[in-house]
Amino acid sequence: MTTIESTAIKPDKTALPVSAAASPTMAALRQFARSPAGVVGAVVLLFLMLATLFGPSIYGVDPLDIAGAPFTPPDADTWLGTDYLGRDILAGLLQGGRATLTVGGVAAIITIVIGVTIGSLAGFFGGPIDTALTKITEFFQILPPLLFAMVLVTLFGQTLTTVTIAIGVVSWPSAARLTRAEFLRLRNLDFVKASRAAGAGNGHLILLVVLPNALPPIIVSATLAIGVAILFEGGLSFLGLGDPNTMSWGLMLGQNRNYVLNAWWTVAFPGAAIFIAVLAISLIGDGVNDAINPRLRKRG
Amino acid sequence: MNLALHILRQVANAVGLLIAVLVLNFCLIHAAPGDPALVIAGEMGGASADVIAALRVKYGLDKSLLEQLFTYLGSVATGDFGYSYYFNAPVTGLIAQRIPATLYLVLSALAISVVIGTLLGVVSARKPNGLFSQGVTIISLAGYAAPVFWTGLMLLLLFGSVWPILPVTGMTDVARPKVGFAHVVDILQHLVLPATTLALVFIAQYSRLARVNMIDALTADYVRTARAKGLPEFIVIGKHALRNTLIPIVTVAGLQFGHLFAGAVLVETVFSWPGMGRLVFESILRRDYPTLLAVLFFSAVLVMAANIITDLVYRLVDPRIRSGAR
Repeated sequence: MTTIESTAIKPDKTALPVSAAASPTMAALRQFARSPAGVVGAVVLLFLMLATLFGPSIYGVDPLDIAGAPFTPPDADTWLGTDYLGRDILAGLLQGGRATLTVGGVAAIITIVIGVTIGSLAGFFGGPIDTALTKITEFFQILPPLLFAMVLVTLFGQTLTTVTIAIGVVSWPSAARLTRAEFLRLRNLDFVKASRAAGAGNGHLILLVVLPNALPPIIVSATLAIGVAILFEGGLSFLGLGDPNTMSWGLMLGQNRNYVLNAWWTVAFPGAAIFIAVLAISLIGDGVNDAINPRLRKRG
Repeated sequence: MNLALHILRQVANAVGLLIAVLVLNFCLIHAAPGDPALVIAGEMGGASADVIAALRVKYGLDKSLLEQLFTYLGSVATGDFGYSYYFNAPVTGLIAQRIPATLYLVLSALAISVVIGTLLGVVSARKPNGLFSQGVTIISLAGYAAPVFWTGLMLLLLFGSVWPILPVTGMTDVARPKVGFAHVVDILQHLVLPATTLALVFIAQYSRLARVNMIDALTADYVRTARAKGLPEFIVIGKHALRNTLIPIVTVAGLQFGHLFAGAVLVETVFSWPGMGRLVFESILRRDYPTLLAVLFFSAVLVMAANIITDLVYRLVDPRIRSGAR
């Protein structure tokens, strides 16, 4: 992380001017900027976030108000049409994106925190701790994640909080396996041994020595976890398991799905919003992967 | 290792995990807010205090939690997963009724996605920067990002109103015969859209996986050797390189059986396919806990079975594992 360390490993002819490659983070950001897919994804996601943040006040239509006759097709007044209650679809999309994107982000954080904690403890300590934690991970892996999330939300109530926690609780095993594998690979390398010899405790070794070096694949999987969480939120809401009091893209889809044959716009647009958001996030994931994992870039 | 012994060990492991799922189910029901007796009374459409007290005794709710757990495990061991008040039938029977439809859907989606995914990946690996390859990359990105219920609804829209050549709801047509070849054709026609919808997500992933592994395989020494021997290209690819491309696909397909099943819940809801997914949807709507938890258990059984089968297929595809030298 320090300047000394990175300049020491940077006498690379292909590298950018030394000042620009001052930190590994900056170097990775520069690499990311070179990946067209990643940049497009980042721009699209930024646009969606800004739209959901400022859109509702700019557009100025309450997504719960009746804006016109039910099933008004897209026209000059209601740009994307109205739903089965006559509510404005565009207003719903702008407002609903907040819940969808927030659930995605927070659930991904929960996923990664649980996964990294379990994976790093298992990989670092090995032995019986590893056996026990791996068994727990294996157990969670045999439950189909979305189905397990449905059960949790049905039992513990349909609020945005339950939905978010449920998605996090069912999604962590792959992050745990990934982290464990990285820790197993790193824990016996010389720099870890050196820190241990210098008197570092286990907590210090895990958090400050091994974890930073295990981060690249974890960051990629965290990015993808956001996309998965958004898809899960959509799936739960589609089945009527979202928070009925909070507008979200999945909720719009679920409430209007029976009218798809009469009013395609009620379903097509919210689904397209989810699609674009997840697509943008997976493009970012690809870009991040290319930036921090240059070895794989060649494989095209 | 001896194969029979290996399978036995796998099955023992599976049984252990499945008992853990049952314990989890039990804990969930008891951790959830609300008194089970009141919930059952609610499902029955309300009941007097006497009836509720009788229900408590009948279901052993007046006993200690540990005793209740053993009663639950005991009844599951005899195939009794409780009674669904909404469907007015034993849960086990309900699920047995729905399993075939779900298996048709899940297995055909699996077959479609593995075959088409591998094919797309292999063909695009031949010219990794060509137009076809880029097309496949775009398809796989889109297939991954599109929510499966939305793809389903869009296909339903396309074939339901724009271009009505395929049935869009249910598994059979009321007017068609229920026996013989015509019945099979009827089911197959109804299966096309749900299976394709479900397969699209996985085609996306497998084509990507096949492409990367095929590109790797094509640069490997053994492929160069095969070519140098003068083998025709389709044997080099179809026999030598394909084998090593299939291994990761089999692994991932096995690992993802749970996702496939969860996807089926959504797809069945879209197309009113009368399988376990549809049952999940209905039991969620009615807060039918016994059914919901039993489905969770049976899906875990299917996932375990898929894992064991994957392991066996793996051994068939990869001789290194078969001989035990991993």
